[in-house]
Amino acid sequence: MRVSVGVLAGLATMVLLARPVVAHHSFAAEYDANKPVTLKGTVSKVEWMNPHARFYVDVKDEKGTTTNWNLELASPNVLVRNGWTRNSLKVGDEVTVEGSRAKDGSNMANARVVKLADGRRVFAGSSGGDAPPPAQK
Amino acid sequence: MSRISRLASLCFVVVAAAALAAQQTPPAATSPAGSGGLNRAPAAPTGPAPRLPNGQIDLSGVWQGGGPVGNIADGLAKGETLPIKPEWRKIMESRKAKDDPEANCLPTGVPRRDPYPWRILQTPTHTFLLFEGNIHSYRQIFMDGRRHPEDLDPTWYGHSVGHWEGDTLVVDSVGFNDKFWFDFQGTPHTETLHTVERYTRTNMATLVIETTIDDPGAYTKPFKISFTARLRPGEELMEYICNENNGYVQHITGAAKEF
Repeated sequence: MRVSVGVLAGLATMVLLARPVVAHHSFAAEYDANKPVTLKGTVSKVEWMNPHARFYVDVKDEKGTTTNWNLELASPNVLVRNGWTRNSLKVGDEVTVEGSRAKDGSNMANARVVKLADGRRVFAGSSGGDAPPPAQK
Repeated sequence: MSRISRLASLCFVVVAAAALAAQQTPPAATSPAGSGGLNRAPAAPTGPAPRLPNGQIDLSGVWQGGGPVGNIADGLAKGETLPIKPEWRKIMESRKAKDDPEANCLPTGVPRRDPYPWRILQTPTHTFLLFEGNIHSYRQIFMDGRRHPEDLDPTWYGHSVGHWEGDTLVVDSVGFNDKFWFDFQGTPHTETLHTVERYTRTNMATLVIETTIDDPGAYTKPFKISFTARLRPGEELMEYICNENNGYVQHITGAAKEF
């Protein structure tokens, strides 16, 4: 699906205004909400640990080069309270991640929404505060 | 532009962005459990604050919030600004987010909170604040009428004594170290910090915490902040060991004030 620049800008505005505070560190100092990124690939590793759950995704570009991305989620505590389990993401799963890139330019991002292997799009808890996920449509 | 019209413009941007997003983006994400953990939580109970058999207000329960997270100035009365000394303003503005002790799994100190639930536990001699999140620690408030000792070693949570004034628990604390920040922005203090917190459970689900911050080291005069904690009915504290996997703090490149 094509997403217009306007929508991305609108979403970025929302993310900025949401003042994400679920992390134990400042979101804006680490990630750039104006650098949205969508990554599609295979989960290579999952770290289900505090203070942030992390997972790593191998993303292949059009030339066939694979890059490993380090993706930050909320803490397992917040994720569990939002219905995740430690098995929601497994090594080998094909996923699509929407998030914000790290400001330091490394292959790191804060995951906002994860489209799981079974097709469900799940709220990753990182940028909306410890709030209920958006209502299911 | 006045503050109100700026606020109105911001509201418009949010509403417009939300409307745009609703029209053109895929369905909103949900949680793996469908409705989501917090959506399963029972609605907040209503009614007056509960009382113990001796008639005193019962503060016990699992709470969320009640102190600054991002910006302590959010708790000031309308129109007030932090009476911070210029030299400390400079120090604050030079602080890097990666150096926030809280981001490095050290305690929040007082009166800062984090986004995790916490529990109040009252005994006849002590009141305990049990924190799930940073850093899975606790504060102890002595309720037996003792005074602060002389010459305290500076510590993260200081030395706290409490007493009741009517239905309000008043907690007086001194003996703090100068290491913790009041918020993500790096709002500072010194070892001369003295806090007086007033805990008032205004109804079953609401706990107002008003704190007077007196720190002649970094501020020109005492100031008051007020934050509200909300009851988390049916919630239990979970384990949270921040040091388990906090290996990425050095990737945080921004200034603390960027929050």
